[in-house]
Amino acid sequence: MADTQQAQLKAGAIGFFDALVIGLAATSPAYTLAAIIGPVVALVGVFAPGILLASFVPMLLIASAFYYLNSVDQDCGTTFSWVTRAMGPWAGWFGGWAITMTGVLVIGSLAEVGVRYTLLTVGLDGPAENIWLIRILAVLLILVTTAICVIGTEVSAKLQNFLIVLQVVSLLIFAGVALYRVYARTSTLDAIDPSLSWLNPFGAGGAALTGGLLLGVFAFWGWESAVNLTEETTDSSQAPGKAAMLSTVVLVITYVAVAFAVVAYAGTNFLTENSEEEDVIFQFLATESMGGWDWIVLFSVATSAIASTQTTIIPASRTGLSMARRKALPAMFGRIHPRFRTPDVSTWWVAGIAIVWYLLLSIISENALFDSLTALALLIAFYYALTGIACAVYFRKRLLHSAKSFLLIGVGPVVGALLLIWLLIVSVRDMANPENSYTGQSWLGLGPPLVIGIGIILTGVVVMVVWYFRDRSFWEERPSTVDEDLAQKAEGQRS
Amino acid sequence: MSVVLGYDESPGARHALTVALDVARHYATNVVLVYGTAPPNSEMGEEFRSHQEALEQLGRTAIGKAVEAADAAGIAAVVELVSANPVDALLEVADRHDATVIVVGTWGESPLRGAILGSTPHKLLHLSKRPVLCVPAPD
Repeated sequence: MADTQQAQLKAGAIGFFDALVIGLAATSPAYTLAAIIGPVVALVGVFAPGILLASFVPMLLIASAFYYLNSVDQDCGTTFSWVTRAMGPWAGWFGGWAITMTGVLVIGSLAEVGVRYTLLTVGLDGPAENIWLIRILAVLLILVTTAICVIGTEVSAKLQNFLIVLQVVSLLIFAGVALYRVYARTSTLDAIDPSLSWLNPFGAGGAALTGGLLLGVFAFWGWESAVNLTEETTDSSQAPGKAAMLSTVVLVITYVAVAFAVVAYAGTNFLTENSEEEDVIFQFLATESMGGWDWIVLFSVATSAIASTQTTIIPASRTGLSMARRKALPAMFGRIHPRFRTPDVSTWWVAGIAIVWYLLLSIISENALFDSLTALALLIAFYYALTGIACAVYFRKRLLHSAKSFLLIGVGPVVGALLLIWLLIVSVRDMANPENSYTGQSWLGLGPPLVIGIGIILTGVVVMVVWYFRDRSFWEERPSTVDEDLAQKAEGQRS
Repeated sequence: MSVVLGYDESPGARHALTVALDVARHYATNVVLVYGTAPPNSEMGEEFRSHQEALEQLGRTAIGKAVEAADAAGIAAVVELVSANPVDALLEVADRHDATVIVVGTWGESPLRGAILGSTPHKLLHLSKRPVLCVPAPD
């Protein structure tokens, strides 16, 4: 006789501190700043702090959608699961494709930053400029990390938490030291005093504004995980909400402080002269302002990027697994390694595409970092907007239930989605004219990021249509609306 | 009093099953078949549930075969799918059933590799307060 027990998610697995750490870890602030602060100041100059602050607004509105979708659909799912449920298989499939591709595309950039900053941390500044060495090491890093993901080795949670706290602390120290030296007039560059007018996101205007906002969306990408954890956290009515809020405040303060510090310390002249070198601005300024202590900042960027390589591969491969299990992708992507218990086929595919993509882009693009991050931001804006709309559609019968539901489930996510769609349209229009991209490089008469974005979408359409004609089971799924009881519970929890 | 067996489709598990059934016969007790369904790498996050469902399915299939073998040997079998990693699942179930012994298969991994990759028998030997029987896979 066999009696089976249904396996359940562990309740009370995470506390306040962990929830705080998860919110910060998912955005990986040190890597993000190292990657985007150069391009952002190159685009908008002194208005970088304002751009970063403004990008947070749509993020906040969309996070509300993630929160409610997650709390009624105990799926710990993603855009793929939710959009399929709310808007049907075509939109859902596409959301899944976009979310997997964002994961795949960012891996190369993460690995490259991880490798470069590791070399800089240990003082190998010469090798850190050898682009082929960096490429080889980055590919090796992706392979090793993928193997670790497949084997399922878990890094000690305590070590991870320590590194994340270190990340934020060292960034704030960097900002503090740089600003102190600005006011003490000991800046090694042509420093300028910070001004509150830098918080004006519209200061730069035009194509620079939308380009900057897109990079800002990339900067907050992943932050929604902090609000997604309610079910598993201990003291679920209070702790996660506070932790999510605190991680947000910490994140925004860190970004804005570092943006202020970078612009003030370097001064506008330096930034204009070096706008072509945007990928090294951050490391250069860390060394200039921190002197012999620069390794603290470099080390935290290195660990942040390397850790994120792993935490990005896992969700991308899991979305692949999830799509395969619902017959939206060939069954082989759903294979689980019997001994390691991880989706090995899906994981290796993610790594393979990431490597090919990384090498291809870094060889053909004049400005691979900027192009890939901007293209990524287009995809992120797209799937966030899709999720925001899916939230309002899925909850459509509940919107008029209370003023709070109407605002947080309906208006908020939809406004967030509209802001992102506006950003998408304006950016696409700007990028359609290669003269607007500051490298002026043109592929097929269009800006490179737009070509990349369109390329990914077209590839997705081809894969989707081919699979539709091979196996239609997934397309028999029908959209539904939220279950009334679950919705009531979810809405109650937040009050 | 039970014999608790960690069963999956890894090499050696089949042989461990045979030994566990033998031991259960000697003690005149039942066998508890355990499979931990918690996905490795992270407690939560995107599409966590899909991964867990896939593991549950895998666990059911694997354990289904083990139950058949136990039935054929005339030994009562209890199935436990636990939402935890294999080691925690085994320890928890062993306590719940007051296990005489925990049986797991090993596949002749080098001690260093086991320590680095965190093999189940390796962790179990250090953490369990009950006797652990490691059954090597036949060549």
